[in-house]
Amino acid sequence: MRLDPLPDAMNKLQGRITAIESNDHVSLVDVVVNGDMFTATLLETPAEAAYLCVGNPVQVWFKETEVSLAKDLEGMISLRNRFHAIVKEVRCGKILGEVVLDYQGVEICSIITTRSIQRMAIRVGEKLEALVKANEMTLLAVEA
Amino acid sequence: MIEIDIRKKLQSARGEFMLEIQLSIHPSEFVTLFGQSGAGKSTLLRCLSGLEAPDAGFIRVNGASWYDSKNGIMLPARLRRVGYMFQEYALFPNMSVRGNLEFALRKKADRKRVDELIELMGLGELQHRKPATLSGGQKQRVALARAMASEPGLLLLDEPFSALDHDTSIRLQAEVLRLQQHFGITSIMVSHDMGEVYRLSHRVAVLEEGRVARLGAPADVFRASAGLGNGKLSFAGEVLQIETADVVYAVTLLVGNQVFRVIASAEEVRHLKPGDRVMLMSKAFNPVLQSVTS
Repeated sequence: MRLDPLPDAMNKLQGRITAIESNDHVSLVDVVVNGDMFTATLLETPAEAAYLCVGNPVQVWFKETEVSLAKDLEGMISLRNRFHAIVKEVRCGKILGEVVLDYQGVEICSIITTRSIQRMAIRVGEKLEALVKANEMTLLAVEA
Repeated sequence: MIEIDIRKKLQSARGEFMLEIQLSIHPSEFVTLFGQSGAGKSTLLRCLSGLEAPDAGFIRVNGASWYDSKNGIMLPARLRRVGYMFQEYALFPNMSVRGNLEFALRKKADRKRVDELIELMGLGELQHRKPATLSGGQKQRVALARAMASEPGLLLLDEPFSALDHDTSIRLQAEVLRLQQHFGITSIMVSHDMGEVYRLSHRVAVLEEGRVARLGAPADVFRASAGLGNGKLSFAGEVLQIETADVVYAVTLLVGNQVFRVIASAEEVRHLKPGDRVMLMSKAFNPVLQSVTS
C-alpha cells in the first residue's frame, strides 16, 4: 500500500527542513516554504523517523478545516503558522463556507463558518492572513 | 417470504447457550448474518439448508413448512432447493467446470441453464478445465454458478470471500450482487467483514450469543453500534504503553491490528495503564482521507 502521489484534496506546500528541536517523543520542526517559515509539532523524533533531517525536502499538509483567516490581525498570538494570501474564490453554504486562497501561486483552501465569512466581509481579490496551529501541520517525506 | 422462528441449544468455548432466532426475510432480499465466531451464524444457515435440525420452532418458505417441531416436519435437505456457497470451493475435482454445473442441475435435460450461467459468469474459457487448474477466485466463481444451477429458491453464502485476496474478493462480490439481482434470488450470507455487508446486503442481522441483537440497513446498524450519530469517529483499542512526551504523554494504542501513538494530557492518562481498554475518539472534521493504490 502506498499513498497516492497526486491527491487533489488537502492543502499542500513544498518546503525544506531548516531546524528540528526534540524532547522525549515530541519534535518541533521548522520548514521553509517560498521564504516563509512554517512549523509543525510532531509525535516523532529524528531517531524514530529518518526523513526528519535538516535540509531534507518535505511536504507540509494541513486540512482545510484547520485554516483560520484573519484581517488586520494585531497583538501576539500563539499560532506559529501565519501567511498572507489573496482570496480567489468564496463559496458559502448554509453553515460552512469555503474560501480559496492564492498563496504564491499555490491554492490553499480554508473551510470556516459562513457566519465568519459574512462578519469579516471576505471578498474576492483581497489580502488575508491565514493561520494554522503547529500541531495541525503534517509533514510528509518527499522521495528524492 | 421466509419466516424463521427457531431455538437450538449450542455449545461454544464459553459454554452452553441458546440459539433463538426470529427473522422474516422478504422475497429477493439479501440479508447478512454478522457477528463474532461462535454467535450461531453458521448453525442458522445449516438449519435453513437442512443439514441440521433445530430443537424447536418452525421455518416456513413461501408458505411451505421446511421445519415444524409441532407437526414433526423436517424437510430433507435435497428437497429444499437451496444453493450453497462455502468458504471452501467444494467442487468435484474429477469433473470439468461444465461437469460440476451439470451435476448440480435438477433435471438433467436442462442444459440451457448451464449455458446461461457459463455466459453470465464469463466461464466460457474455463468450462472444460478441471478445478485444480483454476485460481481461488475462479473456483469461487464456479462454486457460485454451481450454487445457482439447481434453480434454488434460496441462496446461502457461508463466508464465501474469506479465503480470497482483497481485489479478487471485491470482484467476486460484484458478481454475487449481479447474479443476485439478475435472478432476484433471496440470499442469506454469513460474514464478519463490514465492507462485504455494506456492499451486498439490504439488511444485516447482528448475532450476539445466539440472538439477533440488531437488525436493519447496514449503515443504520453499524452507525448506531459505533455511536456515530454525533459526527465523531470512535474505535475500541487497548493501551500498550504510556511514555512522557515533554509536558504531555505519548500513548501507544492497538486498534484492530494497527499500532500507533496519540498525544494525551496528564489528566487523560492519570487513570490509564497498559492493558486498559479505551475508546479512541476523533471529531469528524479532523481525519485526513488519502486514496491508496494497492
